[in-house]
Amino acid sequence: MVKADRWIGLLFALFSLYICVESFRLGLGSYQQPGPGLISFGAGVILGVLSLVLVFVAFFGRTIERETWHNRGQIVMVFLAILGFTLLLEWLGFILAAFLLVWFLLKFVERRGWGFSVGVALAVAGASYVVFDLWLSAQLPAGILGS
Amino acid sequence: MDALEGLLYGFSLALTLKNLAFVFAGVLLGTLVGVLPGIGPAAAISLLLPSTFHTDPISSMIMLCGLYYGTMYGGSTTSILANIPGEAASIVTCFDGYQMARQGRAGPALGIAAFGSFFAGTIAVVGLMLLAPTLASFALKFGSPEYFSLMVMAMTLVTYLSQGSILKSLMMAALGLILSTIGLDPVTSSLRFTYDILVLRDGLGIVPAVMGLFGVSEVLLNVGAIMNREILQSEIKGLLPNRQDWKDSSMPIVRGSLLGFFLGIIPGLGTIIPTFLSYGLEKRLSRNPNKFGTGAIEGVAAPESCNNAAATANFVPMLSLGIPANPIMAILLGALTIYGLQPGPLLITEHADLFWGVIASMYVANVMLLILNLPLIPLWVQILKIPYTILYPLILLFCLIGSYSLNNNVGDVIIMCVFGAIGFLMKKFRYEPAPLVLALVLGPMMEDNLRQALLISGGSFTMFLTRPLSSVFLIVSVAALLLPLLKIRPTAKFRQPEE
Repeated sequence: MVKADRWIGLLFALFSLYICVESFRLGLGSYQQPGPGLISFGAGVILGVLSLVLVFVAFFGRTIERETWHNRGQIVMVFLAILGFTLLLEWLGFILAAFLLVWFLLKFVERRGWGFSVGVALAVAGASYVVFDLWLSAQLPAGILGS
Repeated sequence: MDALEGLLYGFSLALTLKNLAFVFAGVLLGTLVGVLPGIGPAAAISLLLPSTFHTDPISSMIMLCGLYYGTMYGGSTTSILANIPGEAASIVTCFDGYQMARQGRAGPALGIAAFGSFFAGTIAVVGLMLLAPTLASFALKFGSPEYFSLMVMAMTLVTYLSQGSILKSLMMAALGLILSTIGLDPVTSSLRFTYDILVLRDGLGIVPAVMGLFGVSEVLLNVGAIMNREILQSEIKGLLPNRQDWKDSSMPIVRGSLLGFFLGIIPGLGTIIPTFLSYGLEKRLSRNPNKFGTGAIEGVAAPESCNNAAATANFVPMLSLGIPANPIMAILLGALTIYGLQPGPLLITEHADLFWGVIASMYVANVMLLILNLPLIPLWVQILKIPYTILYPLILLFCLIGSYSLNNNVGDVIIMCVFGAIGFLMKKFRYEPAPLVLALVLGPMMEDNLRQALLISGGSFTMFLTRPLSSVFLIVSVAALLLPLLKIRPTAKFRQPEE
């Protein structure tokens, strides 16, 4: 167990409470005719009980402080980059979005030089056009380049 | 259709030019994935899945199975040459494989890994071919209660055999069950947990979720981490093991193959645990156990054979019962449903072409891997030298484009991103993704069978206990839940020391 399990357990307990309430609203039905909320209610109860056991064990059992968070900035930047790609994909089109994603990751996350990051990003964008558009005929958005 | 007839029929399908090309593409990509650390078979199969939608199910399954096979072969190359397991089942190969390479015996280590994998793969395909149809015809007698109990057993076994905390694994299974209920209720047609989000109406997509849990999360974990790759620079000579090597390795290969096959059938064991057990068994049987860890060829031969046999055996419950033994099988099961096929005991009889085609393609894949892999080792070594800083943007791009092309919908990409973050946090805080994925896949089938069983029994739960097979499955499930309380757990040795 890690120390963070104390609050993770509490979060899961709250989540399971919410699931149980929502499942109850959906309807549990009867034993003869189970309703749409029965399975999620049952799983919610199980998750709730297990979460409370986790909190108990994490508070009173042997825990270790092992969760280390190196490179937090880089991880957040990578996650924001893929979110940005997702949001801009349909507007920019996949070739431009692919170029920007790879360039951003190499230039700002990996701190590579301008020439290298732009060069690799151009090569990847070009290759993805050949592979996905020309070869696999995937229906990917053309975005502003298509209009 | 008897086994021989079926096999010949399978070969008539697998040996067409088109399907040979698919096997080739699968094993080549698989080996590449196995060689590259940071992307495993689960993420790779999910990535490739959308590109198979335009082709027929047999060719698609042949390619995806070839990919899975290829990763098992490819994983050993990095273990031996760089002391980095390309995929988790090759961890054990590092112990002696890398030591052999340091002593200038990389060639025989790679050679015996390839020959052992070939032997094990072939034996396991024979086992799969004979066992799966028998199991499937037996499973035809199953009713809803048996199926429900079987799925409960599969899920509890997965949590029991997981390598992390059993409490956390059970929590993940429960979370997976909750997530599996998202979408339209098949009986009442009411929407569950969809919050007016269109992409959730058909349920939470398994493929984008798996891509996030296994692909994106792995990248997030590895970002910025210094990957110490000390690849042997010396030329690899003499891939053929000598007479002494063969003498030392022949029995470990046989034992590893048999152990891998029989353990691989059990849901939850996957390929990692059998390899550890195989290594432990060889060490125990050895006259000179001290040489293990210092470059013993048996320490490479046995686990490499074992992981290939187990990988093939994982197909037994998936193809015969529709029960996935691990997350990779869960994705393949999901693929079958996407192709419009109904997994379960009727799959083999109703889609004999698919079953026998895949079986025959496994034989072909084994031969291809043996012929291809050894000459291509210099190429894999060059690929290993590509820095991770260039690889991970590509992996992310493939994940993003792959998830979008599932339904041409940004919603799937968002699901993948969210599950990427969840998977990253799960790995950081040591929550295993396997029980979650299995529950996500099995959840709808469990619910369906539970409802049917209760409808038939008039609301009585005693049906699950009074029907013999169902009660056996439930007894095993209860045992799997109670044994950890008595500190009896076969995977205890392989668990992280702090757990």
